Amino acid sequence: MEAIKFEKVHFSYEAEGNGNDPFADNAAFSLDGIDFSVEEGEFVAVLGHNGSGKSTLARLTNGLLSPSAGKITVMGLDATDEKKLFEIRKQVGIVFQNPDNQTVASIVEDDIAFGPENIGVPREEIGERIDFALGAVGMNDYRFSTTSRLSGGQKQRIAIAGVLALKPRVMILDESTAMLDPRGRKEVMDVVLRLNREEKITVLLITHFPEEALLADRAVVMHRGRIVLSGKPDEVLRQEETLKSCSLTLPRPVKICRELRCGGLAIGDCLDAETLAGELAALLPQNASFSGAQERARSTGTAESGSIVCENLSYTYNPSSPFATHALNGVDVRIAAGDFFGIIGHTGSGKSTFVQHLNALIKLPTAEKKYKPKKRKKNAPEAPQTTLNVNGFDLTQKTTDFKALRRKVGMVFQYPEYQLFAETVYEDVAFGLKNFCEDWSDEEVSAAVREAIERVGLDFEEVKNRSPFELSGGQKRRVAIAGVIVTKPEILVLDEPAAGLDPLGKEEIMELLHKMHADWCKTVIIVSHDMDEISENCNFAAAFSEGKILAQDTPKRLFSTTELTEKAGLDVPFTAKLVRALAARGVTVDCDLTTDDLVQKLLQAVKTEGAGMRSTQGGNGNA
Amino acid sequence: MREVSFGQYYPSDSFVHKCDPRTKLLFLIAYIVAVFLAKNFYALGACAVVFVMVAALSGVPFRSLLRSVKAVLFLLIFTALLNLFFHSGETVLFSWWIVKITKEAVYFTVFFAARLFLLVLGSAILTLTTTPVALTDGIESLLKPLKWIRFPVHELALIMSIALRFIPILTDETGRIMNAQKARGADFETGGLIKRVKAIVPILIPLLISAFRRADELGDAMDARCYSGSKVRTKYKKLKYTWRDLLAALLIAALIAGIVLLRVYTAAII
Repeated sequence: MEAIKFEKVHFSYEAEGNGNDPFADNAAFSLDGIDFSVEEGEFVAVLGHNGSGKSTLARLTNGLLSPSAGKITVMGLDATDEKKLFEIRKQVGIVFQNPDNQTVASIVEDDIAFGPENIGVPREEIGERIDFALGAVGMNDYRFSTTSRLSGGQKQRIAIAGVLALKPRVMILDESTAMLDPRGRKEVMDVVLRLNREEKITVLLITHFPEEALLADRAVVMHRGRIVLSGKPDEVLRQEETLKSCSLTLPRPVKICRELRCGGLAIGDCLDAETLAGELAALLPQNASFSGAQERARSTGTAESGSIVCENLSYTYNPSSPFATHALNGVDVRIAAGDFFGIIGHTGSGKSTFVQHLNALIKLPTAEKKYKPKKRKKNAPEAPQTTLNVNGFDLTQKTTDFKALRRKVGMVFQYPEYQLFAETVYEDVAFGLKNFCEDWSDEEVSAAVREAIERVGLDFEEVKNRSPFELSGGQKRRVAIAGVIVTKPEILVLDEPAAGLDPLGKEEIMELLHKMHADWCKTVIIVSHDMDEISENCNFAAAFSEGKILAQDTPKRLFSTTELTEKAGLDVPFTAKLVRALAARGVTVDCDLTTDDLVQKLLQAVKTEGAGMRSTQGGNGNA
Repeated sequence: MREVSFGQYYPSDSFVHKCDPRTKLLFLIAYIVAVFLAKNFYALGACAVVFVMVAALSGVPFRSLLRSVKAVLFLLIFTALLNLFFHSGETVLFSWWIVKITKEAVYFTVFFAARLFLLVLGSAILTLTTTPVALTDGIESLLKPLKWIRFPVHELALIMSIALRFIPILTDETGRIMNAQKARGADFETGGLIKRVKAIVPILIPLLISAFRRADELGDAMDARCYSGSKVRTKYKKLKYTWRDLLAALLIAALIAGIVLLRVYTAAII
């Protein structure tokens, strides 16, 4: 039986009377005659860029929205019938994107009880349902925990449990992993897979991540309110032309295979490192070694502008209280002028605390106005000295001009679009400038704002008088970045600059940062959970773990050992996986772990060996 | 990083902590009545004895209790001064220019301050030993009879519980937005009143927008979990009275009885 069935479904937000909703981009999100069905027990992934209508699809399925035309049937019930709304919502659970905005209660068990309470389940049975739901998401130990203290992945698992307590037959995940770090994403995906396999729950997974879509039985691609592709995930994810026209990207492994094929290698589209390594090893001789990777050059100066020297930095939240947490524990980092520096580590590893030190949002105790040097007791061991030198400013001194420092060290926080406030884009971007350069004339300010807005890829004339809240998500983020770079900082720090964007948006932002690095900001520092992002873009990176630096090195050396994975539980980039898999097959490839360099090295290797060159005519493209 | 719980809750496992929140609420109300019924220092002394007993049972350190007094210290001193100077009396102790302090005024001032002191401390015990969540449950349960006059008890309780849940989230969010604007050169610490008020705008607007967005999403999530506020709704958590609540009831009954007796058999000073 079909769990979900859409027949010629149309929907538009204007028709819903939401035309003035400031949060909806009206042209987007609508549906244009969708025919779509999901079998009971099936696991279907829906891919699409932001605004393609995939979330609308989810909301229509459980009656949060109703279609302007067409018929929707869910578990045999007519979803457009208001009277059956309750019945349908019992059958179809939905988990949303933001883990913070779905829980109603402060205590885990109270929150899970919310759904069953609503439908009038007797008290004793609610207890049983809580047991079942917590068990299913593996959170039994957290029954009496405070919801706000859980990690993102745990919060989403609680949200899933809250839905499971209604005993639904269909579960919709509306980008439920988009705001999570890789660890949280894996937690949630493991739970979803288990529910699908063991509890036989039908799953509709709406996602940006091709890796997640690969786990599904079927993948569906949406674009402009229509379904443009549907089929086995590994087949759908190879349709380069269609994906591109839908503003989607190929999974990274497939991209590498394509590039190798363009270079003349007979390689099929592989979706994981092992398969690809296997195919490559067949083309390359055993025990071969290909070296010659060039180190990306790095400046060695320590006091020049754009550089950061940090020695023995420690920080404790709520010191001398029972809630004291040691966020940093003697951190030593050196960031050179001209670096594109990566900071990696799990949530709570201390990286955010470190980054906030860089422009004195957290001041060292010795730089506080109230600080008085303590008299040291005789014979007491000398306390280790802390050094923090950013862009030539000594941050251990209270005499430092912190305002001047902040002008030179730009900071873009996670989801920077949430800090926009002004009536027009122009006003918002000019905010920093007006704070830092109070003596500038209107013309100077105007010229700088224009330059910044154009640098982030927006049309100055078109956006300057618009409200920042009218713009799309990606545009808002660009405006927020413009508001930081407008003061021409020497060092630009970005916390998860690509978080929550769709794949194309991610690529565009990273491209933007590279351009910025070329001639705007000397040094760019990004904090990221995405190891591929680090290996592709950074020349140097530091891994944080439990308030300490676990390692700092080039991505190549950083990801060559298993230390990171073992000690900090961090993932490695796909390129590093491939290099490792090749090494296991006796082929050593020495590259700097960017896709470009890896592909080039592999092609060179094959060419110099002369072996493995085969005709690629009609190669096994869609094998 | 805001691991510190908000409000004043002092985590412990004491007798008072384990009492039913309804008992504590009713106890507090009766205690307040008793303090107001007290007309002389003997009666107030009886209230103080009960307060000290409860405070000792609660295991809350004296310092935490005093902190709650700090908040109303200004009010305490202000009313004390007013009483001291303007309460009429006959036995003049001290007089200078238009200031005249009488014996009665001194008595009254001390009495009034002691009474206020006991009231504040008593309420502090409740918030120090009861989590906001338990307090909400208690209030909802006590207000239940009001359903008869169509008072939206359940809705009110839900609003309170959601507000409690979002306090830590919005506190974090405020911190984040402040940091972001500080990094763009905003200055919240210096300047006159008008400048400081103006500096709040770049925090307030994003915070409001975020709160609306969160409310919107939460509404959807609640809808999706079959919320309708209908009558079929059941309640998972049931509060239960235990022997502790009986003891508490006996104690407060004894206090009220004592105060009433003292009113009859001793002279009032006010």
